[in-house]
Amino acid sequence: MELAASDLTVTYKGASTPALQGVSVEVPAGACLLIVGPSGSGKSTFGLALAGLVPREIRSTMTGSLTVDGVETRAAEPSALAAKVGIVFQDPGSQLVMERVEDEVVFGLENRGWLPEAMRGRVPQVIAEAGLAGLERRRSSRLSGGQQQRLAVAGVLAPEPGCLVLDEPTSNLDPDGAAALFARLADLRAARAVTLVLIEHHIDLAWPLADLVLALDRDGSMIDVGPPAEVLGRSRDRMGAAGTWLPGDGPPTGASLAPGPIASESVVIARGVSFGYEPTAPVLAGVDLEARAGERLALVGANGSGKSTLARLLAGLLRPDRGTVRLGGDDPTRLPSAVLARLAGYVFQNPESGFLRDRVIDEVMLGLSAAERAAAPDVMGRLGLPLEAFGDRNPYRLSGGEARRLSLACTLVRSPDLLVLDEPTYGQDRLGYEALIRILDEQVDGGTALVVATHDRRFVADVATRVITLANGALTS
Amino acid sequence: MASTAHGTTVVAPLPDTRWRTRDIVIAAVIGVAFGVVFWAWGLAWSAFDPVFAFAPPAKDLLYAVWLVPAVLAPLIIRKPGAAVFAEMVAAGVSALIGSQWGVDTLLSGFLQGAAAELIFAFTLYRIWSFPILALAAIASALAAWLHDWVLYYATVDTTVQLIRGVAMAVSAVVIVAGGSVALARSLRSAGVLEGFPD
Amino acid sequence: MIVARDLAPAQLDGVLGQTSPVLKLGIALAWLIGLATTTAWAPPIVLAATAVTAALSVGRVPTANLARAVAPLWLAAFGLAFFNTVFGIANADPTSSTVLTLGPWRVTAEAIDAGVGLGLRVLAIGAVGAVFALTTDSTRLVDALVQQARVPERFAYGALAAYGSIPRFGEDLANLRAARRIRGLRGTWHPRILVGLLVLAIRHGDRMALAMDARAFGSEPRSRYRDVRWSRLDLVVGAAGLVGLVGALAVGR
Ligand SMILES: Nc1ncnc2c1ncn2[C@@H]1O[C@H](COP(=O)(O)OP(=O)(O)OP(=O)(O)O)[C@@H](O)[C@H]1O
Ligand SMILES: Nc1ncnc2c1ncn2[C@@H]1O[C@H](COP(=O)(O)OP(=O)(O)OP(=O)(O)O)[C@@H](O)[C@H]1O
Ligand SMILES: [Mg+2]
Ligand SMILES: [Mg+2]
Repeated sequence: MELAASDLTVTYKGASTPALQGVSVEVPAGACLLIVGPSGSGKSTFGLALAGLVPREIRSTMTGSLTVDGVETRAAEPSALAAKVGIVFQDPGSQLVMERVEDEVVFGLENRGWLPEAMRGRVPQVIAEAGLAGLERRRSSRLSGGQQQRLAVAGVLAPEPGCLVLDEPTSNLDPDGAAALFARLADLRAARAVTLVLIEHHIDLAWPLADLVLALDRDGSMIDVGPPAEVLGRSRDRMGAAGTWLPGDGPPTGASLAPGPIASESVVIARGVSFGYEPTAPVLAGVDLEARAGERLALVGANGSGKSTLARLLAGLLRPDRGTVRLGGDDPTRLPSAVLARLAGYVFQNPESGFLRDRVIDEVMLGLSAAERAAAPDVMGRLGLPLEAFGDRNPYRLSGGEARRLSLACTLVRSPDLLVLDEPTYGQDRLGYEALIRILDEQVDGGTALVVATHDRRFVADVATRVITLANGALTS
Repeated sequence: MASTAHGTTVVAPLPDTRWRTRDIVIAAVIGVAFGVVFWAWGLAWSAFDPVFAFAPPAKDLLYAVWLVPAVLAPLIIRKPGAAVFAEMVAAGVSALIGSQWGVDTLLSGFLQGAAAELIFAFTLYRIWSFPILALAAIASALAAWLHDWVLYYATVDTTVQLIRGVAMAVSAVVIVAGGSVALARSLRSAGVLEGFPD
Repeated sequence: MIVARDLAPAQLDGVLGQTSPVLKLGIALAWLIGLATTTAWAPPIVLAATAVTAALSVGRVPTANLARAVAPLWLAAFGLAFFNTVFGIANADPTSSTVLTLGPWRVTAEAIDAGVGLGLRVLAIGAVGAVFALTTDSTRLVDALVQQARVPERFAYGALAAYGSIPRFGEDLANLRAARRIRGLRGTWHPRILVGLLVLAIRHGDRMALAMDARAFGSEPRSRYRDVRWSRLDLVVGAAGLVGLVGALAVGR
């Protein structure tokens, strides 16, 4: 199934500048197109346009042409287009439809009228390939973030779409899960049965698969398009300047890592902490952890190992079943919210979970002191969200990376004693990543204790002075 | 919706009556959310019983919580059938998660939704002003009142029935019509109604 | 916290679990209408007892689950019985026999009789509803509504998708409260939280609808992976349901 864009420009309703402008690319059937570019450069917008959701369902105007199999996406019957193009959205949580794993895979097949016998063969196969065998009757809402992402991919792959769009499919996967997904994509590409459109910041995994690379610039215009080696040869500098990750940017830049002085007083202490969401399924069992002022801790571990859970316990947002958490000497779950907010900052794994207001500016300013308010524009600017441009935007209509940075900004404008960040780097381009590292360095040097839960090995190497691995409810250093 | 241009009233063409997937899902989500509210409200309702036993119409001032989806959903998605669909989903959900009224919720949900639907149908789904919403809310309350009379208050004195009816109507205007307008405004300012008519 | 009810496989594999949900719904509605025709005590008692016995025996519903589901019923039934007694029409009828006078109120035997009958009616309706809920899987219910009752597919599965977001409500609530707390906002039950929950539910629903569109939802014709067919069991259960209703009404004469 071939794809072709010519002078494609998309402007969202209410936006003054296009999200995507003048993009032209031709993808032959069975090829793999990798779209790279900094956060906010229109990568997701391109995917949504391929699926026909932009401009029909998401208010926007589109000029130029975009065709799938020679048919304009704008003019195509939605269901006819959906039968050709499968898309996995950037936010995996929002696309699961049915209650149980098996029915989720079945859903797309039924919609396309697959015969029952064919479904009976296909469904177990797809579930097994996704590594979800044995979980057929599990409720999707009880899967971990990474498992949900696998299921979303499985549901879209099942009906064998002619074109598959994957928007940062590994953002919530642990390294093994990401490698497994890419191994499957490599098989798909080898079979040349499906045209792949891949949007990915994990460039080292994605690059070897690409037949074509489309490099976008910050303003949504095109830097270059062509075979990977040629694009890299021609446009390496421009892509680098835009903030795109490039192959070979590889792990550890070792940028900061001058471990500052670690104070002797501890900011947070967990002793013998056990916790489970349901009595029958303990998540943490007897965890001991201490973080001192100026210390940088990384929590790592497989999908579902309990990183987010531990992070919430430390920030006083969950109460342990057994054991104690002490934040500045007190039980954080009993502190008044005003006091807790001064002691601890917490960034949710899903940035939208933490949003409380309808405008970006109200969101960052929420609950700040006068001094912090004065500092907010600077933090926002450093994180690539200048208030002049973003202040009036709705936090829920940002790109994935922008939403992540806004959620970080809301916490980093304050300087609590303890910073707990859950997957702070996913979906970030190089500039956003470096800006974050610099801000964190400043805060830690100022005496903040930093705890990050993350799958990002580079980030661990760049910021952490102590790495703690979670497995089976317990910690190993 | 009717709009005036140069002093003459121009009636807009009939709205698109085809349900998009998002119309269906959003009407259903409103139904589901209120189904959960119904369930919790039902428990509270029973718990209030002894408290309100001697001032029963006071309790009926809160009755209209059961009727909100019948006006809120049509107000947001503006499609024929939205009142019945949302109210039935809400009823079905509360029955499934365990309401003490059992499958009767389906029957009463249908009646309450259908009554509001009649009013909206009468305007050809073109007028969404407060008086129409209030009328739909009252119609819905009327249906509920008749249903309850037959099923649960069959032997209650007529004067008390009438007092109940008035309390329910007042409650409908305030909670259902007023509440729906307020909720729709909050939802709109939160930016979640981008894909729906203003 | 709100969690959609998880039904044990035993409940779903039992006789009532295997019965067509549409049929169960039909029986429940028939019983409801039958009960509306009488204020005698016996019919609701017989029907409630039938439903509960069936659930505990062939339905394989654990006693504790059923007990928990019907617990709030007593309160509702008592409230209605009380209301119908105190404000009963019969109390105004001079020929009724007075049992009690409380200031301006007169409570008569006839009013008590009818009031208790209505309280029992609530009990029966609620018990039948609980048995239905405890033996019916939501996905199977919707499959049956589509395949056996010809409910339009898009609406049925759209509603099912929305129903699936119930577990999210609990998570959204926990997140909202945590987000407020960590930002120093007071009030764990601020009205804003409830509105915020609805906002989140609608936002999620809207995105899910787009995902459904992108997966070709609503393009005809749809095929079926999970068949729901009428079976001999349905015939038996349906007949038993009718016999129960006729019997109960007869006893009430
Ligand atoms: N619904 C929307 N309404 C208005 N503007 C939007 C909307 N969605 C995205 N945008 C804006 O359009 C631009 C492109 O967004 P897009 O999501 O395509 O970026 P992206 O390249 O996928 O970024 P990321 O890597 O952060 O996910 C961004 O500046 C974003 O703020
Ligand atoms: N709200 C919840 N209700 C029930 N179970 C939950 C809930 N949140 C998480 N879990 C379960 O608890 C376990 C730990 O989850 P947690 O989110 O802490 O893992 P994680 O290490 O952060 O995973 P990931 O890398 O996917 O983010 C998982 O098995 C998950 O399924
Ligand atoms: Mg994106
Ligand atoms: Mg996590």
